[in-house]
Amino acid sequence: MRAWLYLIAAAVAGGIITTPALFVLILLGGSFDDALVASLGTLMLAAGIAVVSMRDIIRCGLAMIVCFLALAGLYVTLGAPMVAAAQVIVYVGAISVLILFAIMLTSEKVGSARLTFQTQAAPAAVAAIVIAVLVSLAAAGTDWGAVTTVIPIATESLAFFIFNSDVGTQQYVLAFEAVSVLLLAAVIGGVFLAKREPGQGA
Amino acid sequence: MGISEQLNTYLTLSGILFAIGTFGFLARRNAISMLMSIELMLNAVNLTIVAFGAFIPALQGDGAVIALMVMAVAAAEATVGLAIVVAIFRNRKTPLVDEYDAMRR
Repeated sequence: MRAWLYLIAAAVAGGIITTPALFVLILLGGSFDDALVASLGTLMLAAGIAVVSMRDIIRCGLAMIVCFLALAGLYVTLGAPMVAAAQVIVYVGAISVLILFAIMLTSEKVGSARLTFQTQAAPAAVAAIVIAVLVSLAAAGTDWGAVTTVIPIATESLAFFIFNSDVGTQQYVLAFEAVSVLLLAAVIGGVFLAKREPGQGA
Repeated sequence: MGISEQLNTYLTLSGILFAIGTFGFLARRNAISMLMSIELMLNAVNLTIVAFGAFIPALQGDGAVIALMVMAVAAAEATVGLAIVVAIFRNRKTPLVDEYDAMRR
């Protein structure tokens, strides 16, 4: 019985990936890149909806990993392989594991659906749909001056871009160092918050 | 012109992902679910930034660099946020945000 459920879940997941790809390839006559973007985008959105709607919070965390991986695939199609690698390392490798640890540290019994969502869930859904429609309309209605081919950014030029010191070009060294100080502060703050004794302070 | 060669595809995808994150942040009761929704929103913004960097020649390079910095800031935010949630959980024994009412009593 349970094996059949897993089989059905696998079939649904495969359908979520392959259906948009076949739709774009056959009905719209798109290229393989288009099919890839369609299936990765659909997978990302489906996993995102699973993150915010599933009742078991550990499954939410696992769906978030799927969402981040699909997003890394989209970064590759956008010609930014270094960003995709950082996405996999930072989000899938570090933040997701951190969140799963926190889930297991603070886990409680799985509540009913009434306990999963606030009472304001319906207005929140309306607000979210309004935001999605507004953003899509604004994006479609604006002339961004975009080119119609992806400009890839090679990793060497990305490194040069961060660390160059040529006068007259955009320079990111100061921001890069500021980010490193911020990370140090975050690490110290995290240790301070997590190490506090139960009876001491708030 | 296929959908993989249009900026609007990626902007729409990230707009919908941002809306999903907004819904999760407003509607979930578990504090860690809310943090996961914030991560979804940050990722949506990152997709927008990388898409602009890939499709607008004047922004080539800037997009990827800014996306990397947003990732670092998001990692810092996740660290501190989860540490706060774990610290509150130690005192209140619940991860549900609507039971954190110490300042209302």
